[in-house]
Amino acid sequence: MPPKPHRAILDRVTGYADEASAFLRRRRLTRRPFARIYLPGGRGIALCAETEEGRELFLAASRVLDAAR
Amino acid sequence: MAIAQIPTTVSHDARSNDTGAIVADVSDPNAAHAAKVADAELAVARLVEMSTDLRGCAILAEDGTPLAASGELEDWGGAAGALLAAADAAASEPAGHVHVGTEDGEVFAVRHEGFALVAASERFALASLMFFDIRAVLRELARGPAAAPGPEVEAEAA
Repeated sequence: MPPKPHRAILDRVTGYADEASAFLRRRRLTRRPFARIYLPGGRGIALCAETEEGRELFLAASRVLDAAR
Repeated sequence: MAIAQIPTTVSHDARSNDTGAIVADVSDPNAAHAAKVADAELAVARLVEMSTDLRGCAILAEDGTPLAASGELEDWGGAAGALLAAADAAASEPAGHVHVGTEDGEVFAVRHEGFALVAASERFALASLMFFDIRAVLRELARGPAAAPGPEVEAEAA
């Protein structure tokens, strides 16, 4: 038995909204700033902008990007 | 009292015989620095040519002296030095390589055999590709000018 017409439209709109929200979520995740430092021994450190060291590194990176303009 | 006289021709002879060789052995620090700068400029030009996502880069010596940059050397020297210093301070030891991503773009830094290269690229540049290109350029720079492929080799490869 085929679904009622209004139900099919509702499902389609819900599907598009889900796609859009997933796209925005992925975009937000990939645009999040990050900083990683790799040491000669193979160890790596991830820093976030909330810490003092991370803030310094992000500021220094901004200066490098300004120099490249 | 008689003073023993040594004929001056002996010392003159010595100068003409030995001094030239001694002077030739003494390396000229200015000439060595100029050669290093020229090699670094060549390396910067190679990286700019190789990497499509690159916005600019600079090469620093081990002591932090900027050797060459794709833009203003003073601006790049200060910014690149500050980035490496911040990374070293955060890691509590000299960093091997650094990758920072911001909303404006991405920054890469690699240390290799006494040189450091700091580069700025577009957002979403392929990090592995950028590091590969930077390392290739630094390896050639560390090996010296003889290691860089000449125009004939590049023409044959093309």
